[in-house]
Amino acid sequence: MKIDIENVTKVFKGNPAVKDISFSVNRGRIVGLLGPNGAGKTTTLRMILDILRPDSGSITFDDQRMNRKIRDQIGYLPEERGLYQKYAVLDVLLYFGRLKRLNRRKSHVEAVRLLDGFQMIDYMDEPIGHLSKGLQQKLQFLVCLIHNPEILIMDEPMWGLDPINQEMVRQKILSLRDEGKTILISTHQLAEAETLCDHFVFINHGETVLKGSLEKIRKGFYQKMIVVETDQNPEALKKISKVRKVDIMNKKVHLYLDSEGSAKEVMREVINTIDVISMESHKPSLYDIFMQTIKSPGK
Amino acid sequence: MRQFLIITWWEFVRHFKSRSFLLSTFISPLIFALIVFLPTLYLEDSSADQIRLVGCVSFDSTQICRDIQQRFNEISIASSSVPVIDLVLVRTDTSQLMKQRFTGLKILKTELDSLDDAYNTVRERRKYIFQKPKTATRDAQLKTTYEELIQTREARDLAGLEYQRAKNQTDSLWRLAIVQHADGLLNSLQLEGYLLINPEDFKQGLVEFHSLLPSHFLDIEPLKQAVQVVIVEERLKQENLRVDKIQEWLSPVSFREIQLQGADKEEFDFLINYLGPVIVVLFLFISIFTSSGFLFSGVLKEKTNRVIEMLLSTVSHNQLIAGKVVGLGFLGLFQIIIWYGLTLIFIGGDILNANEISFLTVENAILFLVYFVLGYMYFASIFVGIGSLFSNEEDAHHLSQFMRLLSILPILLAILVLETPNSPLVRILSFIPPLTPTFMILRTPLGSPPPMDYYLSSGILLVSTLISIYFAGKLFRFGSLLYGKKPGFKEILGIIRSRK
Repeated sequence: MKIDIENVTKVFKGNPAVKDISFSVNRGRIVGLLGPNGAGKTTTLRMILDILRPDSGSITFDDQRMNRKIRDQIGYLPEERGLYQKYAVLDVLLYFGRLKRLNRRKSHVEAVRLLDGFQMIDYMDEPIGHLSKGLQQKLQFLVCLIHNPEILIMDEPMWGLDPINQEMVRQKILSLRDEGKTILISTHQLAEAETLCDHFVFINHGETVLKGSLEKIRKGFYQKMIVVETDQNPEALKKISKVRKVDIMNKKVHLYLDSEGSAKEVMREVINTIDVISMESHKPSLYDIFMQTIKSPGK
Repeated sequence: MRQFLIITWWEFVRHFKSRSFLLSTFISPLIFALIVFLPTLYLEDSSADQIRLVGCVSFDSTQICRDIQQRFNEISIASSSVPVIDLVLVRTDTSQLMKQRFTGLKILKTELDSLDDAYNTVRERRKYIFQKPKTATRDAQLKTTYEELIQTREARDLAGLEYQRAKNQTDSLWRLAIVQHADGLLNSLQLEGYLLINPEDFKQGLVEFHSLLPSHFLDIEPLKQAVQVVIVEERLKQENLRVDKIQEWLSPVSFREIQLQGADKEEFDFLINYLGPVIVVLFLFISIFTSSGFLFSGVLKEKTNRVIEMLLSTVSHNQLIAGKVVGLGFLGLFQIIIWYGLTLIFIGGDILNANEISFLTVENAILFLVYFVLGYMYFASIFVGIGSLFSNEEDAHHLSQFMRLLSILPILLAILVLETPNSPLVRILSFIPPLTPTFMILRTPLGSPPPMDYYLSSGILLVSTLISIYFAGKLFRFGSLLYGKKPGFKEILGIIRSRK
């Protein structure tokens, strides 16, 4: 099921939380919604979930507005976790399964299958409050999967999980994508997002600042940084034109080019200035892109 | 609809299984019952197990005490209730000092009596001499006996004075010793109290009762009655009137209080007509506030742990709020059914008398149920609306405390209903929604309010409940996703007024 968010705006008490945001989440794809705190990510997710209504714009699911059938096909994992601490793991899974219109038997079967798959079957009758924090996080993830939803919307799915459980959840998310589910993830863990998402939407101050696949986004950043390794004093590199910033870290020097700088020309100047052990045009990580995008308003 | 039922069932079951529900269903009423009935039970039990000894002390002869004891026993036998007091005669003092004094007094009395005898003898002899024909020796004999008479009389009078002085002293010491002895019995807890009879005062109708506790804790009413009988008997004897029926004449008057109950008239019973409805109101309030409290804390917890977002991604605001309110409403009803069942069990086990809940007629039960449901919905909607505005229990703690205090207000004002159930003030207060359930439930068995009051009060409460549900829905819609900042009063008003 494809989700289309078109020109969506939401204003709270005169302050726009989300401004004219548009993006799509296709079936069999994982889209990462990235942005700093207060960027409007949670508001966007809540509008997609129909918990909040947008002031303008539209959100459609395979060209249909939110309805009961679509709602039943959504699995949502909120950012902060808790569930009902005093109630047994199985009871809570059954409750959410039933709310998602599974019959009692089907809920039970699905709950046991998921608990088994995530190595939590032994905790089936334990009160949730007795579980470790990591297990509670995993359980919440299972609650969101209990009805085998077509659409998965997750806010920080890896938050609070140890590396082993992170890997387990990651593999599950990837397998769900391969099954053709539509997945939207909001996260701060950029390294995680980089390995998980196919498509990214950067928002800041409620506006989309960047979107596309990682490769497409990187294209704009490819030649903007050069890493030079040298034994000589790198101070001389600061005098090279069209370099706006130089970071010296032991033998490695990061040269940040200004917008008009050509990597080819700068490389040539570097070779002419000092003896170089190695030199490469840096492939920016999602972190670099995120930091640069967020720090450069209007970009 | 299905999801609404699932939420209703979930809310019902999860709170039904909670310790708080067990506590409020069984422990709170038990504590409440203990607070109300424990002092009574203690008094009743202790009096049933242990007969209290009350002494009777008289300064003079023990006859008055014997009479009182006899009358008291007759009254106790005639009474249907189990006697709690045993009246005993207190015999006093046998200390060595008092014995010596009594011996001395006895000697003085013997001396006085012998002098009196001697005086009488001399006087008789003189009378005999005087009646004899005149002889030569008669005048001399008369003269001799006269001197003897004067001397004997003087000696007798002096002995009389001596005796009276000694008697007065001994009497004073005796009375003091009597009181000290009786006080000693009180302090050593051998007696619960004692009647002190001073014959002079007794004739005037004054009897003292000495005890460590106020007399009403001992219920000395039968004692008073016995004393009254003896005093009146004494007075009648002095007037030469018959005394055999005095006790019958003095039996206390008993009042049968008949209360108008609509078209019917029924005998008024404090427990049935007064205390019963108060207990029902208190129980209904425990139920209303248990359920509303669950709703309040439930919404807060779901907000704190963001479960509310998961729920709202599945069901609408209206379904969620309706499911919660109805589920917990059923829990409240179930709590009442449990209490009613327990009451029936107590009646079956003869722990409770069926007459004591006779005010719970079918009509009254339906009325109480209507006011319970409306009252619960009214308070629940306020609790859920306000509860949703806070992000965690800590923030809401003060407000929740304040609301709990505020909720006691109807109970405090209930005293007005108990005094004058149909006064204009009480009628007006009955139409104020937060007070309606308490006031109307209390007024029903106490004052049989006119039908208009039922229609008007339930109508106003229904409309207010609908309005508060509407506003609670708005607040919930706004507040359920509100984190961090607490909305101000102006903001809350703005939400209520908004058309969205």
